[in-house]
Amino acid sequence: MGKGFCALFKKDCRMLMSGKFFLMAIGFLILYTAYVNLGYIRFMQMPPYNVYLYDPAGTQAEKSPLVQTVFSMENMDAVLLSDANGVGLDASAGEVQVVLYKGAEHIDRHRADYALSLLRPSASPAPEVLGTNTPEQKARKEITCELLFFELAAVGFLGIAAVLFKEKGMGVIRVHAILPVQKDLFLLSKLAVFLLSDLAFAVLLTLLNVGLTDGAAVLPAVLLQTAILSLMMALVGLLCALLLKDFRQFTLAYLVIAIFAATPVFLSANTSIKFDWIGCHPFYHVYMGLKNAYFGADISLACYVGAVGIIVLLFLAVRRAFHREIGKEG
Amino acid sequence: MIEVKNLTFFYGKDKQALHGLDFTVEDGEIFGFLGPNGSGKSTTQKILTGILKGHGGKVSLFGQDISAAYGQEFFQKIGVLFEFPYLYANLSAVDNLNYFASFYPREQRRDVGELLDALEFKPDFLKKPVSSCSKGMRQRVSLARALVSNPRLLFLDEPTSGLDPSGAVLFRRIIEQERKKGTTVFVTTHNMVDADLLCDRVAFISNGNIVALDTPKNLKEKNSNHRVVIDYLYQGQRETKTIKALELEAGIPFAHNEIISIHSQEPTLEDMFIQYTGRGLS
Repeated sequence: MGKGFCALFKKDCRMLMSGKFFLMAIGFLILYTAYVNLGYIRFMQMPPYNVYLYDPAGTQAEKSPLVQTVFSMENMDAVLLSDANGVGLDASAGEVQVVLYKGAEHIDRHRADYALSLLRPSASPAPEVLGTNTPEQKARKEITCELLFFELAAVGFLGIAAVLFKEKGMGVIRVHAILPVQKDLFLLSKLAVFLLSDLAFAVLLTLLNVGLTDGAAVLPAVLLQTAILSLMMALVGLLCALLLKDFRQFTLAYLVIAIFAATPVFLSANTSIKFDWIGCHPFYHVYMGLKNAYFGADISLACYVGAVGIIVLLFLAVRRAFHREIGKEG
Repeated sequence: MIEVKNLTFFYGKDKQALHGLDFTVEDGEIFGFLGPNGSGKSTTQKILTGILKGHGGKVSLFGQDISAAYGQEFFQKIGVLFEFPYLYANLSAVDNLNYFASFYPREQRRDVGELLDALEFKPDFLKKPVSSCSKGMRQRVSLARALVSNPRLLFLDEPTSGLDPSGAVLFRRIIEQERKKGTTVFVTTHNMVDADLLCDRVAFISNGNIVALDTPKNLKEKNSNHRVVIDYLYQGQRETKTIKALELEAGIPFAHNEIISIHSQEPTLEDMFIQYTGRGLS
C-alpha cells in the first residue's frame, strides 16, 4: 500500500510540475507579497482625505500636521479641483467653514467631521485599544487571511480540477481500475499533494506578510485551518472534475463557487454589510475560522466537528463519482 | 482459467445487458469474443476484470469465485489492453511504463527497454513525451504496459486497432509468443482477420447472448457448402465451373486445357457472424 501511494504521489507531483502549477503558486506568492508590502500597508497608513486650510489670521494654532495650508481661496479652489476627495477648511471669517465637492451625504459628513477633528487633535477621544495588535499588524493579518482564503478557495481548487481533467481526458483513470493498488489511494495521493503545497504556501505567505515572530506565533492555528479549507476545496474540485463533462462546464461551476459563494463571505466578514442567512453559509464559518486563527481567537469544537463531517461526506461523494468514472465505456 | 455460468447483468433496474452467458476459457488458450457495438462484450470484459460489480450468475477466474478473486493479488495476475492507448501524454514511454510497473512486485516485472524493443518502438521516441508519438507507437506502449507485469491472463480490446499492417502482424506475433509462455488471452475484437488468425476458439455475442462458440475453422466448415470454384481455359476460352469438393478426389471432372485457379467456397468468419446474429460487425 505504501509503495503504491508513493508511486501515485510522485506521479501527481510530476503532473503538477508539468502543468506549471508550482510556478503559478510561486508567482501568486510573489504577487501577494508585493501587494501587501508595497501597496496595501502603505495605503492603509495614508490619511483617508487631504485636508486644506485657509487661515490668513493664523487662528488654528493647534491644528494637526496632516493639515495642509493654502494661501488664498483661489489657491484652495485650484487644489480642490485637482483633489476632488480633499476637504477645504476656510477659517478666514472667524468660524471655520467646510468647503468640499459634494458626494454621498454620509460620506460628506464623515469627510467634514474628519477635517474638523484635525483642527483640535487633542480634543479627539482616545479610542480604547483591544488586543495586542498594532494597526499595522492588524492590517497585515487581515489582508494575509483574505489572500490565503482566496488562494485556497479559488486558485487551489482550479489547480486540482485542472489536473484531474487532464487525467480524465487522457483516459488514464480507467487504467488505475485494473492496477494492483487500492483505488482510494488515487484520490488520497492527490489530496496529499495539494494539501502539502497549500500548507507550504500558507507558511510562506504568513511569514512573509505577517512577519517572522508574529507569523510563527499564529502558524499552528493557521495551518490547521488551512488544512481544513484545502481539503474541502480539493474535494469540491475533484467532485466537479469527475462529474462535469469538460473544462467549459467546470468554468461555470468555478464562477458560481468562487465568486457567488465567496463574495457574500468577504462582504459579511470584512464590512458592515451583514446578511441574515450568512450563518448558514459553510464558507463563512471556514473563513471566520481562518480569521480567528490569525487573531488568536478561540474556535469552537463544533466548528471542527462540522468541518470533519463535511470532509468525510465530500470524500464519500468523490469516491462514488470516481468509481463511476473508472467503470465508464472505454 | 475463466469459467462463466449463466452470467447476467443489468444497467439500472430494467436494462438487461447480459442474458445468461455460459463459456469457459482454458489455460493457455486465446479466446475471441466477437460482437457488434452494444452487444455486451465490453460489459463482459469489465465484469471479468473487476471493473463492474453487481452481476448475476457464477464467474470464476484462476479457479476462484469472482467475489473472492478481486484483491490486489488478482490484479497482479492480469494485464489489460484497452481499445485506446490510455497513457500519460506528458510523460515519455519509458516513464509511463516505469510508473505503471511500479505497482507490481519487482520480481514479476519485465525489463521496460527489452519490451519496447520487442514491440519495435522507435528508439528516438523513448525519452520524448508520448503526446509526440503516432497512434501506432502509443498502441505499442499500451501493449507494453499490459505485458510489463508478466500477466497470466491477458485481456485485449481491439489489439490491432490503429496499427498499420506490419504493426498488426507484429502484435499478433507478440500475442502468439505470450500464449506459448502459457498466458491465457481473452480478445474482444471487431477484426475478423485477428480472430481468425489468433484465436483457438471464438464466441459470437449478440444482444447479450452467445449465439455461437467454436473454433474459427469449425464454424466455417460447419456452414460450408463444400464446393469449389474452378477457373480454367478450354479451347482458348476462359470458363468458370462450381463443383462439389469431393468430386476433386478423382481429378478434375471436366475437359480443360489449363487450370487457372481453384477457390473453396468456405464462408468467412464475418459471413458466419452475420448468419448467426443477423448483424454486421459495425
